[in-house]
Amino acid sequence: MSIWNALASLFSRSDDDSLSIPPLDGPLKPNNRLDEAERIVDLPSADNLVAVENGFLCSGGDTLYRIDPNGGCVIPIRRFEHPITALAASPAGIIAVGIEREGVLVDAGGAWTPHDLGNANGCITSLGFRGETELLVTIGSHRHPWSDWKRDLMSHGKTGAVLSLDLAASTAPRVLSNGLAFPYGLALSPNGEILVAESWKHRLVAIAAASGARLEARLEELPAYPARLAPAASGGYWLACFAPRRQLTEMILREDDYRAEMMATIPPSSWIGPDFADHLNDDQPLQSGSVRQMGILKPWAPSRSYGLVLRLNAALHAVASYHSRADGAIHGVTSIAERGSFVYAAARGTGAVLRFPVENRS
Amino acid sequence: MANSDKLIQFRHRYFSGRLVGEVLSKSWIDSAIPFAALIVVLVTMAVLVPGMVNIAYMADLSRQLAEFGLVALALTIVIMSGGIDLSVGSTFALCVLASLVGMNVLGLPVAVSLALALGAGLLCGLLNGVLIGYLRLRAFITTLVTLVIYRALYDIIFPRLASAIVGNTPDSPAWDYLGFGAFYGLPVSFIAFVVIAVAIHITLSRLRPGWRLRAVGGARKSAYNAGIDVKRTVCLAYVTSGLLTGTAAFLFSARLGSTGADTGIGMEIAVLTAVVLGGVSLGGGRGSVGNAIVGAVLVLILTNGLIRMSTPGSVNQLVLGLILILAVLFDAKWVKNRAKILSKVYVSPTYLALPSRAERHQAQFAPNDRLGESELIGLGAVEGPEDVVLDAADHLYTGTRHGTIVRFFAPDYTRSEVFARIGGHPLGLAFARNGDLLACVGGMGVYRVDPQGTVSRVTDETNRSWLSVIDDSRLRLPDDLDIARDGRIFFSEATIRYELSDWVTDALEGRGNGRLICHDPRTGQTRTVLRGLIFPNGVTMCRDGQSLLFAETWACRISRYWFDGPNKGQREIFIDNLQGYPDNINRGSNGTYWVALLGLRTATFDLAMRKPAFRRRMAKRIASDEWLFPNVNRGCVVRLSETGEVLDVLWDLAGRNHPSVTSTCEHKGYLYLGGVSNNRIGRVKLCDADSAWTSSQEYWGQV
Repeated sequence: MSIWNALASLFSRSDDDSLSIPPLDGPLKPNNRLDEAERIVDLPSADNLVAVENGFLCSGGDTLYRIDPNGGCVIPIRRFEHPITALAASPAGIIAVGIEREGVLVDAGGAWTPHDLGNANGCITSLGFRGETELLVTIGSHRHPWSDWKRDLMSHGKTGAVLSLDLAASTAPRVLSNGLAFPYGLALSPNGEILVAESWKHRLVAIAAASGARLEARLEELPAYPARLAPAASGGYWLACFAPRRQLTEMILREDDYRAEMMATIPPSSWIGPDFADHLNDDQPLQSGSVRQMGILKPWAPSRSYGLVLRLNAALHAVASYHSRADGAIHGVTSIAERGSFVYAAARGTGAVLRFPVENRS
Repeated sequence: MANSDKLIQFRHRYFSGRLVGEVLSKSWIDSAIPFAALIVVLVTMAVLVPGMVNIAYMADLSRQLAEFGLVALALTIVIMSGGIDLSVGSTFALCVLASLVGMNVLGLPVAVSLALALGAGLLCGLLNGVLIGYLRLRAFITTLVTLVIYRALYDIIFPRLASAIVGNTPDSPAWDYLGFGAFYGLPVSFIAFVVIAVAIHITLSRLRPGWRLRAVGGARKSAYNAGIDVKRTVCLAYVTSGLLTGTAAFLFSARLGSTGADTGIGMEIAVLTAVVLGGVSLGGGRGSVGNAIVGAVLVLILTNGLIRMSTPGSVNQLVLGLILILAVLFDAKWVKNRAKILSKVYVSPTYLALPSRAERHQAQFAPNDRLGESELIGLGAVEGPEDVVLDAADHLYTGTRHGTIVRFFAPDYTRSEVFARIGGHPLGLAFARNGDLLACVGGMGVYRVDPQGTVSRVTDETNRSWLSVIDDSRLRLPDDLDIARDGRIFFSEATIRYELSDWVTDALEGRGNGRLICHDPRTGQTRTVLRGLIFPNGVTMCRDGQSLLFAETWACRISRYWFDGPNKGQREIFIDNLQGYPDNINRGSNGTYWVALLGLRTATFDLAMRKPAFRRRMAKRIASDEWLFPNVNRGCVVRLSETGEVLDVLWDLAGRNHPSVTSTCEHKGYLYLGGVSNNRIGRVKLCDADSAWTSSQEYWGQV
């Protein structure tokens, strides 16, 4: 009976604290710097941005584009049968792409060589070269394809992995770490560790250079879901965060009954939870703080999407942040690339590539 | 419907826990707990000490209560003023001495002796009052010192007069009658006590001095700022305390006829225990006569019971002390946490299953952007125009959250003036036959504004329902109104459980908290017509003059109710399973009705409405800004036929100008749009409407 529940809850310590979200303060204090950044190219679902010798490569849907860093010029390079989910380029110019349901394709001067990863093909979330012949691959989930990432989040997915693929030999990929909760991005640290953004656990973990070493959490309690990592020229890293954490989402993740029925009966686009952008979908859930008041959507509103880029120093402490708040336009940033005196960011939710000047703060 | 859903529905209909919150929100809950404790102690004593509870005992108890209860009242008044009086025991002893000196030693008449006793009490109280009230000394220390001083005076005087007091017996029938007499079986002293208690109760709860006392005790600074003479109020509290103690002492003297060295010793602890146990808060400002009496009876029964069980006096004191500590602890925790507990248990969601949205409707609700291109009126000049109406001269009237009704002048509506100041947020508006503007005002009631802008109240209460725990006679959230041909005003009250500012919380409950009310100006009476409606919102008269349409917002349906004619009292669904949450309903040209949709249903919210326990946890565990809500950031207006068919749908897809439209008004070929959380009014040209049609004309003919 509810009376007993009420009495019980009066005398017991509730676990309210566990639903709290780390606050955006200190170096994470909200600003509008992503909205103020120069928007160089509009590219629908611009996703993985990689700096190459004469500009950038960027994936957008099923097409790979070349982008002129000074803006304006977008050249499609190749269209694939399925969406591109990850992209990387080696120092010498080898290009690797992850294609949903197909696996990794590598282009070393004109010919695309496929590398089948088996049941990991569906959800290749990021790629990174270690040298010219070793390709590091993060697999978000072995259970759900990339396009069904929300289902993976809502089913507490932890079937992600980090693989090493030897491009020279045709051996099977080596598993560096598995059982991860949606690894979405990776970066190499100067001492040879692999840093991985474990998105569903809102943290960065390090995989030691020595094989068999344990996974080590390096940066925890992020206020948003981390996406891809990129090294910064002056030391440290850039971390793109693709969606905000919300109390309601955290609660839904604990409400097994509600979540199960939501997943069974409602299409994922209408689910409660994070997203790359607030789409004009009438069926979309709303949180009461996001109700327009006097014609204004409050910047602090608990929106589904947000724009957040973090600048981390070499010790992985956040030293600066770039925001586009609930009422902003640049949401769902998934990748960052630094080139010259500018930082370039691909906002998947908005469908744009933008740039802002580097500040040396490491 | 699955069986588990039926179970959930059953559980939340009959065991929703709603009453727990409602009972906790009542102010008498402060007294209910001590009263329950009293019953428990009474029953326990009756079982433990056989033969204790009988008529003779009751008579004895009532005599003791007369004296002890008066002192408890004295202390209650002081504690309610934010102070404390430890000197009651010594004052009591001095007053006993004074009355016995009057009666036994000097042989004065009873009235003069009473005056002596009261005079002694007054002087003792006045000394405390001046020191604490005017000289601002600490109550605790001051009365501790006067406790010692008064006791020392007693100890000095009493031995010198002891033999004279004991040696003489006054020959006064009145004195004996007071001490031992009974009136219809009730001891006279008890009757005196009841009369005094009733008088104090009325003073404390109904009269100005009582309110001031509570105000001073509750928040001294605020009371000062409100213009209350704090010093005098505090001083008078101690003086009253002294007088009541004097009265108690007089009754005591009459009963015993003598006194001893230990008279009044330890009394302050017993009385303090009684008062705190009764529920008078030591922090000040909270308490009542009832609290004091319940506490006094409790302590008397306890001590008498302990004496009957032949426990030594020191053990009695020990028990009283322990009880006092526990009572103080409970009081501190209760005062601190009551609001917290209430906020946790008050929200009580229920099971509400909406049918899945029909395909048929989805086709009819095909998106367009006809509201997105509206002309804006009063952008930034109005805040919260819930309803809009136009008069015969085409001027536009709307309410604002600043508590005014604003008039925009035709033809271009760029100029505006404050037409009337009401003081609450006007929601639904309608013109009466004589040109008066009637308004439902959030938190206030239904008000009338005449063409000169003079505001008068129409009604602010309805009949109290017997089984409602919360007082539903006051109007909390009257929402929309319409006027029948005979002048009766029918209006909806969206919820009786929340104020206007908390209407979102009612969405989370989804229960039938609202009602439809009728005010008849011919009799001046207001009566509730329909209860248990799920956020009844828009009300509009049907063209048959015998029925009306009302929208139930969270239930996404519009019903028709016959208030007259052969079908009188019947209710039927006009249209249900809407795509969104209907707000106001208004007549349109060509026999149609306009329905404003506050927001759109979402699959996730519909699912949540079937999971009341989930919503309850959400309300408890996460901040209200983070609560799940329907999608009210879109604008949508629907035109219905006389029979409830969807004729037309107008959208503001992005919700830039008109998110959550709360009302519409068709006037001369234009549709005017209001929104309760918007800062603009919109108007859209209707291509297929009668360009001469106005609502006033259709209602009242040529006005």
